[in-house]
Amino acid sequence: MRIERAALHAELPVLSDMETPALCELLAGLGFPVDAVEGFEGTTVLEVDVTPNRGDAMSHRGLARDLSAKLLADLSPVPFLPVTELHEGLRPIILESEACPCYASAILELGSRQETPTEVQAFLRAMGSSPKNLAAVDASNELLHRYGHPTHAFDEERLQGAIRVRKARKGESFLGLDGVTRTLSGDDLVIADDSGAIALAGVIGGEATKVTEGTRRVLLESAWFDPKGVRLAARRHGIFTDASHRFGRGADPAMARIARDLLLRRLEAWAGARVLGAWCVGKMPAEAPPIAFPKDLLQRIAGEPLRVAVASEWLQHLGCRVQGEPGVLHVTPPSWRHDLTSPEDLAEEVLRIRGYDKIPSALPPLEGSPLPLADGYRRARSLGLRMAHLGFHQTVTFGFVSPEEDAASSESPAEGRTLGNPLGIEFSVMRASLLGSLRKAAESNLKHGARQVRLFEIAPVYRTAPSGPLEIPSLGVVWGGQLGGEDPYTPTRPVGAADLRGIALDLGLRPEHCIFRVLGEDLFGLECPLDALPWGGAQVIPSYRPFSRFPAVHRDLSLLVAVDHPYRGLADAMAARVQELGAPLQDLRCVDVFRPKGPPPGKVAWLFRFSFQHPGETLTHGDVDRWMNAALDTARAQGAELRG
Amino acid sequence: METLNDTLQAGLAAMTDAPLRAKLLRMLEAQGEFEVQLAACGSIDECQRLKGRFLGRTESLAAEAMTAMKAIPAEHKRSLGGEINRIKAAWEEALRARQISLETRQKSQASSSTAWDPDLPPPTPARGSLNPLVRLMDRLVEVFRPLGFHVEEGPEVETEEHNFDGLNIPEDHPARGSTDTFHFSKHPGLVLRTHTSPVQVRTLKRVAPHLEALGGIRFLAPGRVYRKDEIDPTHSPMFHQVEGLLVGHGIGMHHLKGTLGHAMKGLFGPGAEVRFRPSYFPFVEPGCEMDVRCPLCGGGGCRVCKGSGWVEILGAGLVHPNVLRHAGIDPDVWSGFAFGMGIERIAMMVSQTPDLRLFFENDQRFLRAMGGVD
Ligand SMILES: [Zn+2]
Repeated sequence: MRIERAALHAELPVLSDMETPALCELLAGLGFPVDAVEGFEGTTVLEVDVTPNRGDAMSHRGLARDLSAKLLADLSPVPFLPVTELHEGLRPIILESEACPCYASAILELGSRQETPTEVQAFLRAMGSSPKNLAAVDASNELLHRYGHPTHAFDEERLQGAIRVRKARKGESFLGLDGVTRTLSGDDLVIADDSGAIALAGVIGGEATKVTEGTRRVLLESAWFDPKGVRLAARRHGIFTDASHRFGRGADPAMARIARDLLLRRLEAWAGARVLGAWCVGKMPAEAPPIAFPKDLLQRIAGEPLRVAVASEWLQHLGCRVQGEPGVLHVTPPSWRHDLTSPEDLAEEVLRIRGYDKIPSALPPLEGSPLPLADGYRRARSLGLRMAHLGFHQTVTFGFVSPEEDAASSESPAEGRTLGNPLGIEFSVMRASLLGSLRKAAESNLKHGARQVRLFEIAPVYRTAPSGPLEIPSLGVVWGGQLGGEDPYTPTRPVGAADLRGIALDLGLRPEHCIFRVLGEDLFGLECPLDALPWGGAQVIPSYRPFSRFPAVHRDLSLLVAVDHPYRGLADAMAARVQELGAPLQDLRCVDVFRPKGPPPGKVAWLFRFSFQHPGETLTHGDVDRWMNAALDTARAQGAELRG
Repeated sequence: METLNDTLQAGLAAMTDAPLRAKLLRMLEAQGEFEVQLAACGSIDECQRLKGRFLGRTESLAAEAMTAMKAIPAEHKRSLGGEINRIKAAWEEALRARQISLETRQKSQASSSTAWDPDLPPPTPARGSLNPLVRLMDRLVEVFRPLGFHVEEGPEVETEEHNFDGLNIPEDHPARGSTDTFHFSKHPGLVLRTHTSPVQVRTLKRVAPHLEALGGIRFLAPGRVYRKDEIDPTHSPMFHQVEGLLVGHGIGMHHLKGTLGHAMKGLFGPGAEVRFRPSYFPFVEPGCEMDVRCPLCGGGGCRVCKGSGWVEILGAGLVHPNVLRHAGIDPDVWSGFAFGMGIERIAMMVSQTPDLRLFFENDQRFLRAMGGVD
């Protein structure tokens, strides 16, 4: 909201001596941070942030009220000459809905010339609006920024019959001042005449009855509308106006009549207007009952034995009526403070005006034992550290992807995971896999010159389920590019699928629980649910398992096999055979694969390494030889030959 | 000399152009020769020369054979053409493997030489990093842990009840609309959570029956949240928050101040200075925002703090009685405070990262520089 300093001083003269930074500080301390200060046509304009609960503060007068309570300084009186009401029946105004309990009006005949005073024009420009040089429009606008009460003027000669404030008829159409024709809902409140809706109450006026240069007679409206109805109507039709912001957050019903008088007096002064009639219909909405404000609650929230009398004083500075009895205050908020409905609200007011800086500071005592960190959090954290130590960088990518990307990496139907209002089609499906996003990040890194890319992400993936997308916390890893070659010792080679399998093995993942995917040339992906990772849980150190202190024996066996011979079948058969003979086999693995020189065609050589270690004795060569021979026999049975 | 199988023989025989047939035959018969020559390569240079002869772009066996491919009759394209391609791929693979093994041998010989200069760069283990945003959230957990806060988690796909109703956010609040919040087309009651606050609602509902036995509750809820903001230097449709909640007996604004003051010293150092300003959030009353002394200028005023010397760091307040009531907790007995902070915002501020989008680009240079493994 824009606030012009001079206009603020006019409401609270004590401010004129204050430096702008001090004023900004003061406003921030009251809950109105100043986002920007700008010089504008020789005046200073502050861009003040007003929270949505404080509709009453959306004007110069409104902010001045809070500042006056804080500074204990008097507000200027609102300069107006009350209007004597006359000729009520000039045009009947009938209130048919509780959403508009009171409506102040007047009919004036405009003089032949009208001119908005230059200082008001300047003020309007400072407010970011352009003066129309139509007295009724400019004056209404000025009053809104100065006092916060929206008013409206109709071209009286274009009205037909009585004015009714009623619910719109479903399907009724209405052409607004913004030039848009809208179909109204039965929940909309409208100002209507015999021709139909002429304004959407509290939101926007109508094109058909707007004031123009040719207008000779005006009918003024200064009413009060139910905030919720205005908010809903503004939302329903997507019209957000200065009026709807103020009525929607709760205007001051007591201002209805005063704003009418102010507007009327301005028209007399600026347009030589003559009053033909001025009257009010309805009555002010009933005042809310007083709020009981217990001393205990005040002191608990304040964190110190603040005296009730002190609280009472601050509240009265804010316009509240306060009655005291021992231990409790009964507080009636002023007509403009619709946000004050509970004792907590009142406590906030006391602390706010007194200054949050005055609140003491203390640590809350521990009342029970602290609980353990969530398991999911601990798992993700330790996995993240593990991956980082393995040389991978943790990424953060969006949870939504394009339907194409989703389809490329998942069979789960996207329908139940699709957003109804995505930012764009590329962000429309909650992903079923992390690998698409990781592939993109990896490719971008390679494109930007990375020799090697090693990324991981820990985030949920989503599965379609009847009750809605199911979240599965998951790990995704990508690895690609060239390994090594960055020092004189390490040769260069492309990253291979086996490298990622090594990571999976290191993490203790079983192959059936994870997905391996080729994501591009020399680029590979691995994904698994976090559940698939081994997790020690509560036990810090696993149970003791004895290990052998006797020497281990390692033996190599070089076998020639057909190029397409399955490795697992051969290794498992040899292992089973030697164990059958009682061999304490610790490990058996292929440690090299190569094509020998001058090979028989279609054969490769596998170098197997056997590791034996007995828990209770030193192994003899005789035993080991026997086992190795048995392993060779087993291999031969599968068609392998010993490589000479 | 290779023995060609019948299919290949038939394919060759069906070719009418004799010179082209000879080119294909030459390649088919060269497999043994390639293996012998490859095995004889003693250096990477020799490998390169071999590659030129067998696989070079022009005049190599493979290049010549490729020119002959078009002359293969259609019915033999698959077998004969496929075989040529298979041989080509096998040669490439074998060459690559040989080069790697030669380089390995060369490097290992070099490194075992006694004349080797010890100042030459040693091989180093790969260094990875935790994401800076994750680090910051972890740090917050560490800072609050000694005060008895644990960690709670909740789903990112939330019910409107947890995301809005349970937090005293009125039915007609604009944040609920489709311009601010992502909805699911098939599941009308579900949204992508717009803050980590629904974890408050879930956790309070869960612990409500045992609150007395637990002696209240205090926890942090770090996580990812979604709002319908276009991507720009200061906005992202997905970002991170850390929510904090404490419920106990007789909790007031002084406790909020004490706790957050302590935490900011843990985060920004013992000299961290904070201030509290009134603000408004539907789920707290009283509400406040907390500023810290601008870490960039120390309070003198700069671009980051827009000259004020302070930067906003979080929103907080005493838990609104309606939030406690919704969870089945009696606000006359229990009270508490809650706070929520935007992680990207703090990360940008402390690191002076100029553009939020850098956190989602996942460039390894950024991750390496901003992350770490602590
Ligand atoms: Zn600064």
